[in-house]
Amino acid sequence: MAQFPSLDWFHQVRDVYNSDSSLHKGGGGACHTTAAFKVEDQSYLIVFEGLKCADIRQASAAELKDADFIIEMPYELWKGMIANVQSHGKADLQYTLNSIDLQQDESIAYSPVDDQYRQDLFYRYNQNFQDFFDASARVETTFA
Amino acid sequence: MANKPQGMAVPAAMPDASGPAGVEGVPVPSFEWMGLSAEWGVRIKPGEAGLRIGDLNVGIYGEVPEVWEDQTRRPRGALPRPGVPPLPYNLRNKHQMWADSAAGLYEEAIQRRWIPATDVPWNTLKALPEDVERAVCQVCTELTQYANTEIEIITYWQDQMSYGYYEVKQFLATATFDCARIIEALRKRALSNGGGLGVESRGLVNRMILESRGGWTESAAYLYLVRGTYAMQVLRGLLNAAHNDAERMIFGKAIEDHARHLTYGYDHLKYSVSHQAGEADIMQTLLSLGEVMMAAELEESTMRPALAIIFGGGIQGGRTIGMETYLHLVGDFVRNYLSICDWLGVPRAQMLHPMLKKYLEY
Repeated sequence: MAQFPSLDWFHQVRDVYNSDSSLHKGGGGACHTTAAFKVEDQSYLIVFEGLKCADIRQASAAELKDADFIIEMPYELWKGMIANVQSHGKADLQYTLNSIDLQQDESIAYSPVDDQYRQDLFYRYNQNFQDFFDASARVETTFA
Repeated sequence: MANKPQGMAVPAAMPDASGPAGVEGVPVPSFEWMGLSAEWGVRIKPGEAGLRIGDLNVGIYGEVPEVWEDQTRRPRGALPRPGVPPLPYNLRNKHQMWADSAAGLYEEAIQRRWIPATDVPWNTLKALPEDVERAVCQVCTELTQYANTEIEIITYWQDQMSYGYYEVKQFLATATFDCARIIEALRKRALSNGGGLGVESRGLVNRMILESRGGWTESAAYLYLVRGTYAMQVLRGLLNAAHNDAERMIFGKAIEDHARHLTYGYDHLKYSVSHQAGEADIMQTLLSLGEVMMAAELEESTMRPALAIIFGGGIQGGRTIGMETYLHLVGDFVRNYLSICDWLGVPRAQMLHPMLKKYLEY
């Protein structure tokens, strides 16, 4: 059982995602980006290389500048999304990254250096990231 | 990395013309062309992501000039042949088409291809209420016209782009294929669930795009910055409102394909504005005109009621929550448009057309 958010939880999701290509249906194809997830005061850098999630690690505030884009939302929203994935096997349409982003006044994804080109990667690889979080359906999860 | 001898290359070995006699009646091959190369001995090695076209930009093959004078079909880096008649490659300045991202986007398009016939789970389609099915089919019809407009305007200009900037021509070839694929997917969606295609769009913005003849940059401003930014919001709204996994796949993949086109478009406009004196002022004028047409289309297009019905789950809901959702979507489009204009160095907030400005309330 892994607790969200934690490095252990993200590592377990990474292992599930990397071990089963049937989980890559939405975002099939190579993906090359370094993104960040920000959950309250915790930040994680995630590196996609080709068809794999190559690395995920905790990041300092300074390291976030290395990210092409950051996905940041309140803890309750993260929790709602992960819980929805756990319940349905994948995010239903109210809890996809796209849906959550549309529902907010400010986009949940932004470039830390205000670079439009790098921010656009959120849309170009949107389904890869959705696939990644959908893989968390197979990780037994508790919440902080 | 390249590994080549220094200086102009000559062939390492020429066939021995004094070798065995040829077969009677068979012409003796000519080997003079074998000595002709501007740079020989190049050995580029694949990197972790394979051998990408961007990796090939070494030595003279990576020299991308500001102006490409050659009006022939000569590949960049090949030796010119005297006497080849010029062709009408009228776009010969880098700022008229370039985007640094083009080579990478080409690779991404090739690697992330999808097949509507088999990747879309068509068996998940289920009967919808007739008003909703009609609205989905109408949106499919209009988005098909967005895509065939994109194909037509790209191919019009692609024909005139010189080969000095081949990465851009390569990427735009994938963009037209992406458009062909989304036309395929939308047509299949419209014709596979008891409905059919709807009514043709009046096409104000389509016509504006197709009649932009001042250069590819002008067309790109209308195609990507004005129409494309709006289309992205529409696709995202449709993914959010997908009725089944088939629609979820279609609109999810359409967003990713369209995002590549926007990345190129925004990148090119940024390059043009920052490398060509006076381009920012020209863009201001173009966008003043483009906003008028875009605002008019938003007022009268059938996309408005059709999307409201989809978002509201029917005609009844389309009058309330559906229309509210649609207006918020357009508000997001205008906010994104203004933000990108700022990033491009062409701020529009103070001059935004009033008929677009009103959407900022939502």
